Amino acid sequence: MSAVTRDMTTLAVLANRVDTIVREMENTVFRSGRSAVLNMGRDFSCGLVTGDGRLLAWAEGLPIHVGGMDFLAQSMSELHPDLALGDAFLHNDPYLGNSHSADHAILVPIFVDDEHVFTAVVKAHQADCGNALPTTYSITARDIYEEGALNFPCVRVQREYREIDDIVRMCRRRIRVSDQWYGDFLAILGAARIGERRVRELVATHGLETIRWFVDEWFAYSERRVVAAISELPKRRIIGRGTHDPIDVVPEGIPLQAVIDIDPNGGFIDVDVTDNPDCVPAGLNLSRATAVASVLLGVFNCLDPSLPHNDGSFRRIRIQLRENCIVGGPRFPASCSVATTNVAERMVNLIQAAFAELGEGFGLAEGNVGSAPGYAVISGTDPRRDDAPFINQLVGGGGGGPAGASSDGWLTYVQSVAAGLVYRESIEVLEEKYPIRFDDVRVWIDSEGAGRQRGASGLRMAYRPVDTEMTAIYQGDGHFHPPAGVRGGGSAAPAGAIRLHADGSEENMAAEGAPVLAVGEGIVGLQSGGGGYGDPLDRDPELARRDVLRCWISPERARDIYGVVFAGQALDESLAVDVPATQEARARLRDERDKKGELV
Amino acid sequence: MAGGEAGIRIAADIGGTFTDVVVNSPDGDLVLGKALTNLERAWQGIREALAVVGSQLDVSVADLIQNCGYFLYSTTRATNAIVEGKAARTAFLVTAGFPDILLLREGGKSEPFNLRMPYPEPYVPRHLTFEITERVDSEGSILTPLDEQSVEAALAAARAADVEAIGVCLLWSVVNPAHELRVAELVEGVWPEVPVTVSHRLNPVIHEYRRASGTCIDASLKPLMQDHVRQLRDDLAAEGFTGVLFLANSVGGVSRAEDVIERPIYSVGSGPSLAPVAAQTYAEAERNGAPESATPNVIVCDTGGTSFDVGLITGGEIQRSRDTWIGGRFIGHLTGVSSVDIRSIGAGGGSIAWIDAGGLLRVGPQSAGSTPGPACYGRGGTSPTVTDAAVVLGYLDPHSFAGGRLELSLDAAREVVGAQLAEPLGCSLQEAASSVLVIAAELMVSAIKDLTVKQGFDPRTSLVVAGGGAAGLMIAPIARELGCQRVLVPRTAGALSACGGQFANLVAEAARTHFTDTSDFDGAVVGELVNELAAELDGVASSLVDVQASSIAKTFYAQCRYPYQIWDLEVPLPELDLRASDAAAQLEEAFHIQHEQILGVRELGQRVECLAWVGRLEVALEREEYGRPEGLARGVAVEPTAVQEAFFGQSGQHGTPRFAGSELSTGVTLTGPTIVDEPTTTIVVPPGSTLSVTGAGNYLLTLDLATAAAPVEPA
Repeated sequence: MSAVTRDMTTLAVLANRVDTIVREMENTVFRSGRSAVLNMGRDFSCGLVTGDGRLLAWAEGLPIHVGGMDFLAQSMSELHPDLALGDAFLHNDPYLGNSHSADHAILVPIFVDDEHVFTAVVKAHQADCGNALPTTYSITARDIYEEGALNFPCVRVQREYREIDDIVRMCRRRIRVSDQWYGDFLAILGAARIGERRVRELVATHGLETIRWFVDEWFAYSERRVVAAISELPKRRIIGRGTHDPIDVVPEGIPLQAVIDIDPNGGFIDVDVTDNPDCVPAGLNLSRATAVASVLLGVFNCLDPSLPHNDGSFRRIRIQLRENCIVGGPRFPASCSVATTNVAERMVNLIQAAFAELGEGFGLAEGNVGSAPGYAVISGTDPRRDDAPFINQLVGGGGGGPAGASSDGWLTYVQSVAAGLVYRESIEVLEEKYPIRFDDVRVWIDSEGAGRQRGASGLRMAYRPVDTEMTAIYQGDGHFHPPAGVRGGGSAAPAGAIRLHADGSEENMAAEGAPVLAVGEGIVGLQSGGGGYGDPLDRDPELARRDVLRCWISPERARDIYGVVFAGQALDESLAVDVPATQEARARLRDERDKKGELV
Repeated sequence: MAGGEAGIRIAADIGGTFTDVVVNSPDGDLVLGKALTNLERAWQGIREALAVVGSQLDVSVADLIQNCGYFLYSTTRATNAIVEGKAARTAFLVTAGFPDILLLREGGKSEPFNLRMPYPEPYVPRHLTFEITERVDSEGSILTPLDEQSVEAALAAARAADVEAIGVCLLWSVVNPAHELRVAELVEGVWPEVPVTVSHRLNPVIHEYRRASGTCIDASLKPLMQDHVRQLRDDLAAEGFTGVLFLANSVGGVSRAEDVIERPIYSVGSGPSLAPVAAQTYAEAERNGAPESATPNVIVCDTGGTSFDVGLITGGEIQRSRDTWIGGRFIGHLTGVSSVDIRSIGAGGGSIAWIDAGGLLRVGPQSAGSTPGPACYGRGGTSPTVTDAAVVLGYLDPHSFAGGRLELSLDAAREVVGAQLAEPLGCSLQEAASSVLVIAAELMVSAIKDLTVKQGFDPRTSLVVAGGGAAGLMIAPIARELGCQRVLVPRTAGALSACGGQFANLVAEAARTHFTDTSDFDGAVVGELVNELAAELDGVASSLVDVQASSIAKTFYAQCRYPYQIWDLEVPLPELDLRASDAAAQLEEAFHIQHEQILGVRELGQRVECLAWVGRLEVALEREEYGRPEGLARGVAVEPTAVQEAFFGQSGQHGTPRFAGSELSTGVTLTGPTIVDEPTTTIVVPPGSTLSVTGAGNYLLTLDLATAAAPVEPA
């Protein structure tokens, strides 16, 4: 393969090689990262960007990170005309292409014969980023000053492969549990260097000219694939709409939308998100990177999942942003502290749900939104370890996936921006690591969005501090506007947060909060499920029976919402669908619905 | 023959399609027999395959069995039962509040943009899962005493539901097993005949999902494997067998049959786990007296009709893992117990080649399997496969495939490759076929790199050992891409796992969980635990009264990580006195080295957390030294059986001689392009490479790497 062979076989082989390099980078972060958000949450992504700033490959990183890796690399080239072999940069600036301050990205320019040909990018969510409050998601911060995070607008952290200790000292001083931060820093730096080494080997094997040819051809191939996929869609304008729950400073909630123009002949999808509210004095504003990433994610969720995801296919999705808009237009010092979740999740959901308007078979329902207490950042001191401080995000509070035209939702989907990639933490490991105890973790019955295909169920998780007090900061959504169904499918049950008082009483809490739990107190997260797709009265009764048998849906809900009636009561294999009674119930429910419709 | 005397060793590997048996002949050679598997009764297939061996050695099946000292058995039975949901109907007893442990697994999913996948079922359905009122905390204190009524109610319900086995996993049982032990007693009291597995005894690790999953899998396999082994014993006895029956286990060794049926989860994946054992022996035999330290790392590839399996041997040790998923990562079930680390992908001779919407050639994951099979089989297959491409290229001779038992259709292969690939790609028939092999090889290279990367292992310095029917077709380009110069293709490549049974040691493992860290090291406690492990393993060794052991070795490992890490690495504890004052420092240093080797960085000065302590016993069963004896009667002629056109990518078409493997003797070296036909595999030697027959009678392929991946010095 040393001669310049330029055919489709070489193209496929090189694409696979590049993908393998990114996977090796991912493996390094995953296995050597310290904080749970990396090694359980998989809240990181690795990629390769071309020297001229086009995203080439990113394997299976967290989707919300994918859009914008190119912005990071572009800002590095603009800010550092003296780029050299052996440099590495730390970048977390949301105004210069990063997602939010809590994602630390390491950029390594890859040189071949004095030419900057690629950039290795590793972006990883931190357990702490030096925020004023002990959380990496400051929903209440009015601006970046109130967030308080250390900001690194693409600063050099290595020169000639040697660490610039100044920056490390700053972080060690200002970031909580700094050993954990430093371990993660080494993990992501190591991953970027492995990417650099492997790319240089690849170029040495194949020659720079072949690699350049490959890059152009791979983008062209990816573009052809997405053009072919778009050509199969109807020519339509669709408008997706959704609302983020109220927060203190926006008591009426935040209405969001996207106008989507599909042009199957030209092979473009245009998404205009300019008609959204101005930035809010809270951490909810989407950075340019997360706005672009969430739009791309919403659109690509509705296309063939085997399409390549890189600059070649992304350039067929044209996105209109507006300065000072909550979706992708923040001006310094507007806060983007929560830019990777809440509003971003809403954007993904409303876009994929809009595609369902194209007709049967298209699009998806909405999936879980927001992070209930099962995803809180918990902090405090551990009496078992001489009151050593701890801080980390809980990972594993559930969150059900949306139904599609032919499949029920994925139970451990978590949220749209993570797309189910996130792992769950072991209860035992959590109880060993932190002074915490879990009362229960179970599928939340009757929480799914009903449908011919139903959304996945939500999850209930209850926990409490042990012999100490513990701060639990969370930023939910979906209490007022739960994930919606499409094409006749129902919404998921509204999410919830419940405080368990020492006297045994329970208190419903707001969607976002920062309670300090005392000894004897606890908290329950009710993380929502996903919306349904199609009419629940069209659901296969056998599937409804299966859901009842596994305690996901009560017999009463099966009867009232799905119109499925059972012979027998015991929740064992004797449970059987009463077919005539089911037909009758469904006819009656349809009839009642029609009558209601006439009244309206 | 009385067990233990050096009789014949018979190894049998029962795959989904074929049963392979390997018998060591009186002159020290290995003789192979193959037959179709009989899923109902393994012995049927074994007997047919033994008849094939018997006809080569001129003895009857009964003679072989009556003179057999050790019978070594591996089967895909347990694995298939899990995948197909055909194991026993099992109830799961779990701490109240956590009934969905088996359902939620450890989260995670592949393909971020694919939200149309069905969510997988738990190993035990919810209606056979019973919540037991009790709770122990992480320090082992009892927060909620065991409510025995909740156990009795669960057992009554399970019994009413016709349950056949019970798995018990309570939170923190590894720290305080009192409740699990009491539940086991209660079961014994009211329902003594039902098989039970309790989690802390099977696999004492924290991480409730992996412990629970392994526990339920183990329980569910007990009725099945007990019946299966009883049947096999009866069948062997009826034929006059008086030797010792061993079953292969997942850690790459064998165990006494009675031990495996007590913990049948260790029989999961036992066939594939023996392939590296065979590879290790072959690699060792080729060392030719070089010092042991010169033994290279080994990459073991087993290429069959539908799957490609890779394993690794580093520093003389077969690599193991506790992350073994049956039925696929994220969507299957985790065994959680130690297993040979085998990476398997759906790529093999039957993989189908196709063109995607962007005009790119793809291979797999769909496979034509053995029915209808590749188009060239003439059994109704209409899609081009890797095997069809190999026929078009002239690598497989239509008349001598599978020892001449199956006549291949060149026309059918040319038709499907031409119409479905060459035409849309706008290239020649040969170029299209060549591309199919390049892409298939590329997938295999990725699978190998996935595993080598995970182990921090540089493939360039390794020896590749290639087994499986399709082993020889693509191994040269695969090795070249990895930068490996040498590939060993055993003459017995077609039955690598069964050969592994011939060479396997008796292997047993024991583990204890005890958390400590190097900044405050519990040397005394850990030292005591390791003594306990040693005593347990000595007990296993001393029970082997009817076995002739040529050596007995015990090794110990610690499972360690840096603070805050989740995933641990296994650090060997050679000769380390854990009670010595510098034990913690030595352990720390060993971990730093291991971490840097695998993950690229070390954190000097950082303390190391230790989670669990593992002991492994290896008893070498007495056997003849492997190696082809001198003067074995083989032909010395080096005349090709034919010279045919074959196509080799960029170097084009060549008149290529074919040789019959049975006619090649030790010392012969052939220069590529050339092709060697063995009854169970075909070895393609591309231009620029050579193939020689080694002293042990195997094939060593040596590649010209002048144009292959050049290492770049780390800057």
